[in-house]
Amino acid sequence: MAKVQVLNVAVLDNPSPFGNPFQFEVTFECMEDLPEDLEWKIIYVGSAESEEHDQTLDSVLVGPVPAGRHMFVFQADAPNTALIPESDAVGVTVVLITCTYRGQEFIRIGYYVNNEYTDTELRENPPLKPDYGQLQRNILASNPRVTRFHINWEGCAEKMEDSENVDPAPNSMLPPSCTPGKAPPLGLLPDNSMDCL
Amino acid sequence: MKLLKPSWVNHNGKPIFSVDIHPDGTKFATGGQGEDSGKVVIWNMAPVLREEDERNENIPKLLCQMDNHLACVNCVRWSNNGLYLASGGDDKLVMVWKRAAFIGPSTVFGSSSKLANVEQWRCVMILRNHTGDVMDVAWSPHDVWLASCSVDNTIVIWNARKFPEIVMTLKGHTGLVKGLTWDPVGKYIASQADDRSLKVWRTMDWQLETNITKPFSECGGTTHVLRLSWSPDGQYLVSAHAMNNSGPTAQIIERDGWKTNMDFVGHRKAVTVVKFNPKIFKKKQKNGSTPKPSCPYCCCAVGSKDRSLSVWLTSLKRPLVVIHDLFDKSIMDITWTLNGLGLLVCSMDGTVAFLDFSQDELGDPLNEEEKNAIHQNIYGKSLAITMESQLSSTIIENPEMLKYQQERQGNQNPNEAQGIGPENQTPKLTNVLNGESLEDIRKNLLKKQVETRTADGRRRITPLCIAQLDTADFLPALFNSVPILPGSSASTQLTPQISSDSSTANSLGLRPSHDPTTTSPNKTAEDNKDSGTAAVNSIGMKSNLLLTSASKIEPMKALDSRFTERSKAMPGVTSVPLTIGITPLDRVKDSSSVKEPKGKDETSSDSEDKIMVKSIAKRKGEMEGAEVVEKRKKGRPRKDAKTMPFPQVTFLLSKDAWISKSTDGAFSEGGFTVSTDGVTYLEVENEVSVVSGSRLSQLKWSREGREWDVLLPSRIIIAAGSSNVVAVACEDRTLSVFTACGRRLIPSIILPVPMSALHCSGHFVMALTASAMLSVWDVQKQTALVKNESLNPILSGTDATVSQSFLTQQGVAVVSLSNGKTYCFNSSLETWNLIADKQDSLVQCTDFRNCVSAQDALGSMGPLALTQGRNLSAGRLASRLSSTPHHLQQGMTLAFLEKQLSSALILLSASEYRHWLLIYARFLVNEGEAVREGQCHCSQG
Repeated sequence: MAKVQVLNVAVLDNPSPFGNPFQFEVTFECMEDLPEDLEWKIIYVGSAESEEHDQTLDSVLVGPVPAGRHMFVFQADAPNTALIPESDAVGVTVVLITCTYRGQEFIRIGYYVNNEYTDTELRENPPLKPDYGQLQRNILASNPRVTRFHINWEGCAEKMEDSENVDPAPNSMLPPSCTPGKAPPLGLLPDNSMDCL
Repeated sequence: MKLLKPSWVNHNGKPIFSVDIHPDGTKFATGGQGEDSGKVVIWNMAPVLREEDERNENIPKLLCQMDNHLACVNCVRWSNNGLYLASGGDDKLVMVWKRAAFIGPSTVFGSSSKLANVEQWRCVMILRNHTGDVMDVAWSPHDVWLASCSVDNTIVIWNARKFPEIVMTLKGHTGLVKGLTWDPVGKYIASQADDRSLKVWRTMDWQLETNITKPFSECGGTTHVLRLSWSPDGQYLVSAHAMNNSGPTAQIIERDGWKTNMDFVGHRKAVTVVKFNPKIFKKKQKNGSTPKPSCPYCCCAVGSKDRSLSVWLTSLKRPLVVIHDLFDKSIMDITWTLNGLGLLVCSMDGTVAFLDFSQDELGDPLNEEEKNAIHQNIYGKSLAITMESQLSSTIIENPEMLKYQQERQGNQNPNEAQGIGPENQTPKLTNVLNGESLEDIRKNLLKKQVETRTADGRRRITPLCIAQLDTADFLPALFNSVPILPGSSASTQLTPQISSDSSTANSLGLRPSHDPTTTSPNKTAEDNKDSGTAAVNSIGMKSNLLLTSASKIEPMKALDSRFTERSKAMPGVTSVPLTIGITPLDRVKDSSSVKEPKGKDETSSDSEDKIMVKSIAKRKGEMEGAEVVEKRKKGRPRKDAKTMPFPQVTFLLSKDAWISKSTDGAFSEGGFTVSTDGVTYLEVENEVSVVSGSRLSQLKWSREGREWDVLLPSRIIIAAGSSNVVAVACEDRTLSVFTACGRRLIPSIILPVPMSALHCSGHFVMALTASAMLSVWDVQKQTALVKNESLNPILSGTDATVSQSFLTQQGVAVVSLSNGKTYCFNSSLETWNLIADKQDSLVQCTDFRNCVSAQDALGSMGPLALTQGRNLSAGRLASRLSSTPHHLQQGMTLAFLEKQLSSALILLSASEYRHWLLIYARFLVNEGEAVREGQCHCSQG
């Protein structure tokens, strides 16, 4: 059973200019004192087409984690625009928050992100080369997609018991409020994917 | 009989393998398959019971859903006190759940359904040991143990007071073990397995009592579960699937000789589950008919793979009712309401059914007192006074009473809190931290949160702890169950026993948490505060027992005619002379709670000595003990003094080896040779005989069959023992010391004032008198280590009272006060030294987590740990609440660690010294304190 339950993630500073850092306020609860730190990552999906364009915006260690309810703000710089395909700069993409313990990912939280120009003129006639200074980032905070994985909390990944591996649940999702088309599927699921809520 | 199938109780069509009604009858749990995990659901009982509640949208039906099990849940069982729920599943795990107080309804983050859990049940313990699916779990009477059985062919007995400690793994089955049931008297546990056997194990030594195979020889392993059941009177054990003449039956096994002459027949397929009604019934008196005494009988429900349910009364030859086609698939589990009139059944088809009987149909349920009287008659002890503690444990079993007691406890909290200091007050969720509201904190969290860089340059955020978990209940093992010092009465388990007269209420402060499990004995004690009633009750009960000794249990009649042998009537009730009481000394010794009067005149003014009396009765040479807590007032003639002449017999018992057992490891240098399974009993019987006007008291000692006794001319007030010596304090202010072989070591020591607390450890004897004087003698060398040392230095200027005292194995006397401070007396310096202070701000602000290696993580065991208890880790948590500057915290940690070191040294506790020295050294290395490091090397050298 997961020793760490994420209770809430609040998206701060949203919507905001594209260049602003991401800020997530994470509240989680831990069943018992964790001897090791948790590692949190923010991954920005640059393009739906390929994982190549995924950027890990930052990763932080969070610890020590005694039993109890905790919160922290995870701030990470905006994505490096040089790594984003120009055709994917505007529109819907995804930002992922993942947490690993002892090298094993146990939760993946995905948010759809809509990047668009605030200026109507620009919106109607977007420049060929994206003008990141004018882009606004809007994270669909009300609609997180949470995927939880069973991991071996006691040891490292190799010792993971087979019994705790359950077949991955097919997980295709498009938020109802989002225009389909460019939206990439959230979460490239590892083999031990468990429950998708 | 009314029948209802509440369709809203379902696991979305997935099978329901287990169902159990909460002892307070307000909710029930189901266990089974979830979407892609195991599922435990807690449901509201009211909508099942009442139609208007079912229709009322404001009354929730589902209270909580837990998807934590990784695979199908095979069994859910509430503890008898209703505080915990245990579940076992195909993921090989047993989980223990507890309701999280103070956390309101919440949704699951990311969940699309906005359905909130009305109650929050949290997994407080995961028990890992089984290597295969867990099929059944069962709480022992009084929740002392939790048993689980598995397809790995074993049964594991967990110490429910000290999870995840394993008391014993019962091996012997050669097939999948699929059912468990405890003897209601607590003497046995029975298991049924696919290996075509039913085994009965003794709880005394966990050995096999009997192995029953004959009725099962034709059985094939075709049922998912084999849930057997023991009748509430303890006389009959009924198996699940058995065969008789190729027909499926439920085999009745008599306790007396484990005879298997009778069975329940009629089901067309294998019996999966048998469940006795918790009540014993007697015939309903019809209006007008002459009230003739009728024999009590039991009621039993049998569920089968043939999808039908039968309900039997042992007074009838035929089933009371048989219901066919209730389900589409096999019946998996049955549970009765505590009042015995309702019944929930669940099935593999994913539905449940509720049966509601009337008293006309089943009969009049006996009340607890009558039930206890039956137990008393049969076993010489009643359930009500078995185990644990007290007179009123039957009441403890009753959740309503528990609630009442909790409220009561709540009322007393303010009292206690002042004695404990802030850290213990509310370790629960608060919305205000350091005077800031959660909202304020959130606003500034980014700025305020501590961010550091690790050695390899990575960002590391220290999360802000906004609430500690109330999971402490299972953790403070030290306070809950582990006696620490061999022979000495160190066990803090005593603390809960400390009586609380108004003046001593503070002494409760030592308890680590207000968890009801740990405190229930205590609360009982409080309930008995007006000990007048307590004593009256105990007497009342006893007379009652004698009066009803004529009642018998009606033998099973409901038998197939193929078996003509009628069971003979219950062996006539051997009316047992209620002999004596015994109490675990380790519990009692301190129960005297050392009330420290400030002036000599007040001597024992209103201290109450609670003495646990264990009544023993012999039946067929079996000893079955039962304990009763009795309170005794000494001194001060209060107006209820008339209740004082409580039964002449006062028994103290010492489970000496029990103590040394758990400490053997921790104190390996102690040289204890007490065998691990040897239990030492110390019995005291006051006024055993009256010879020419003088009354004699007797002290009995026994261990593994060896025993001795000695007579004393005065009433014994306190007795204590170690594996080397036994000390007894009498009313005439004498103290006698005997060797473990019963030889008197020294002539009676005359004390100036009555004894208040007495402890033995190794060759040391410690005496604390009512005038607050401490003495410690080494009876082997015949020297005094501490001579009439007054406690005034530590007591002066405070209102504190002595809440606990003990003697370490090295003969160091330790005294804890109700204000959270603990002192030991150093005989070489002749000073009192403060070794622990719960209010010490250093404790709360230290952070040496990083210096605790994995093997030390569990903490050290020893007198220091005993006095400081869990607050150490609480302190570590607290450090996170206040964002203290690093250098300050470092300084505080250093100061604290040095304090620990010197305290361990003065207590002569080698293992703890080593423990803290290692942490200290690591801390110094981590923090780069070169100067002290050098000193550390020296001291280590």
